Amino acid sequence: MEEKEITVNVKKYNEKDGVFWKSYRVKADRYTQMTEVLRRIKTEQDPALSYRASCHMAVCGSCSMKINGIPSLACKTMAFKVMDEKGEINLESMDYYTEVRDLIPDVDTFYDRMYKVMPRLYADEEVIEDKEEQRMLPEEQKEVWKFQGCIYCGLCVSACPSVKEDEKFLGPAAHAKGYRYIADDRDTKREERIDMLMDSAWRCTSCYMCYEVCPQDVQPVIAIKKTRSHLDDYRGPETDVITMARKHDNAILELINDTGKIKESSLYLKTFGFGEAIKDSINMLKSGKIKYAFTKDSDVKNIDEVKKIMGDKK
Amino acid sequence: MKVAYYPGCASHGIAKDVDIATQLVAKDLDLELMEVDDWNCCGGGFMDDKSEEIHTALNLRNLEKVKTMGFEKMSTPCSVCLNSHRIASDKYEKDPELRENVDNRLKNAGMEYDGSVDSEHFIWTLIRDVGIDKIKKHVKKPLKGIKMGTYYGCQLLRPYEVMGFESPYNPKSVMDLVAATGAEPVAFPLKSSCCGFPLVGINPPVGLKMANNILSDAKNNGAEMLVHPCSLCHLQLDVTQLKIQNQFKQDWTLPVLYVTQLLGLSFGYTPEELGLGKIAKDYLRERGFT
Repeated sequence: MEEKEITVNVKKYNEKDGVFWKSYRVKADRYTQMTEVLRRIKTEQDPALSYRASCHMAVCGSCSMKINGIPSLACKTMAFKVMDEKGEINLESMDYYTEVRDLIPDVDTFYDRMYKVMPRLYADEEVIEDKEEQRMLPEEQKEVWKFQGCIYCGLCVSACPSVKEDEKFLGPAAHAKGYRYIADDRDTKREERIDMLMDSAWRCTSCYMCYEVCPQDVQPVIAIKKTRSHLDDYRGPETDVITMARKHDNAILELINDTGKIKESSLYLKTFGFGEAIKDSINMLKSGKIKYAFTKDSDVKNIDEVKKIMGDKK
Repeated sequence: MKVAYYPGCASHGIAKDVDIATQLVAKDLDLELMEVDDWNCCGGGFMDDKSEEIHTALNLRNLEKVKTMGFEKMSTPCSVCLNSHRIASDKYEKDPELRENVDNRLKNAGMEYDGSVDSEHFIWTLIRDVGIDKIKKHVKKPLKGIKMGTYYGCQLLRPYEVMGFESPYNPKSVMDLVAATGAEPVAFPLKSSCCGFPLVGINPPVGLKMANNILSDAKNNGAEMLVHPCSLCHLQLDVTQLKIQNQFKQDWTLPVLYVTQLLGLSFGYTPEELGLGKIAKDYLRERGFT
């Protein structure tokens, strides 16, 4: 097996010295995982290097970090696949979480988010007392399958732009977990879960970052979209975000159903009202953009086709 | 070369200048843009929250029109429209149950679709079909000396398994186009973070904060202007910029251009012809580009 000496640059941190970079030269071959690279550094060169790793097979979710800036699991990453042409690899702790030491972040906030969505099945009393059997149909399993695969690695939360800016957003992983039980007919807390998740679901920007970084292909953003689809029959606590989501959604649906297109100006007026529209028009006047606010595109000619596709959703 | 062209609602509305610039640049590069017949809104980033089935069927209605026009693919200047059509095609291909329901909806509307039409971003058309070399030959007024922040946003890149054109972490397309115009591309950490547009109608304070993050990050990394690939980023970063600057009490503005507006400038079109807003026009005049 051909071995190469590679350079691993680690962004280190401890309370005494603060943040600093340290480089290590390590031998690796094409089967060397990044967790193995770290083990070699720790056992052969720097016993003080701190990182988490356990299963080495992308199941335990311990070794999350940024590898060349990309949120990744170290065990799922092969050194030869990510080194640059000079044989260098950069390792940093995940974004968002506070640092504990070197590549170890404090992930308590991640677990807090998960506990908030009650991440276990609350079965029927009869089932718990062993009087009933609990069954799941294949089509129900298909719906929850993807979303139950979360390994609590915390990468999606570290990479999410909404998490950073909005403390009321529960974050991608918690939504995937929450929806997994909403979609599970055996669970008895469905209503409570929807009440808990609805406001937060509308705080996602649908940027697909969580979908991209997830090492288990959980696709949390899709779980969020599926949670949003319960808005029409949602009767839980009404928040500002939920009220706006309703207004905005109804306005878009009406526009598409009537004209086949979204007219941004009409949509804005319907969502925000006249007062806010006037305020923003002043800004648009100043930036020379107001002329486009009155651009009028033609409606879809065969609007019946659109209406028939929309069916009952109006 | 004839190209089926899907402008999308925004570029036929408040982001009209995206369409204006794209039409001009396409003409120079011998791309004949054929607007998709009687196209409808793709419902991107919205309709799939309501119903995956309706979302998919609405997008496939457009693709069916493209097919009837005799094309195998269509090109759009909007990343959200792109993402929406590609995700719809992907689901239609991979989920047989959804496919059946979508086929029924289309049938109900008197249509049939075979799943054969591809959708791509106008940037992909520029790079794959036209080529950077040919674009360079059209540059009459290089934008030498301007440090141009290269922004990609989210929908053009992710999810990679559906979008597939370039690395979602180290994209190059916008950078290559900026370099072709003679301007200096400036990468910045938030280049593929969301501009916050999807939140503007629902949770405006956070939506605006995200836009401010993008503009500030580009500026802090040395960008004098910002170039982006999406009609909705345009609404957020360009049209709404004064609101953002008021909100966050910034004493600066960052002129923002849609990617074909930048190409258009280098091809010799005036800021007026390309429909640029006042912030960009003033800045370009200051730098001697009129």
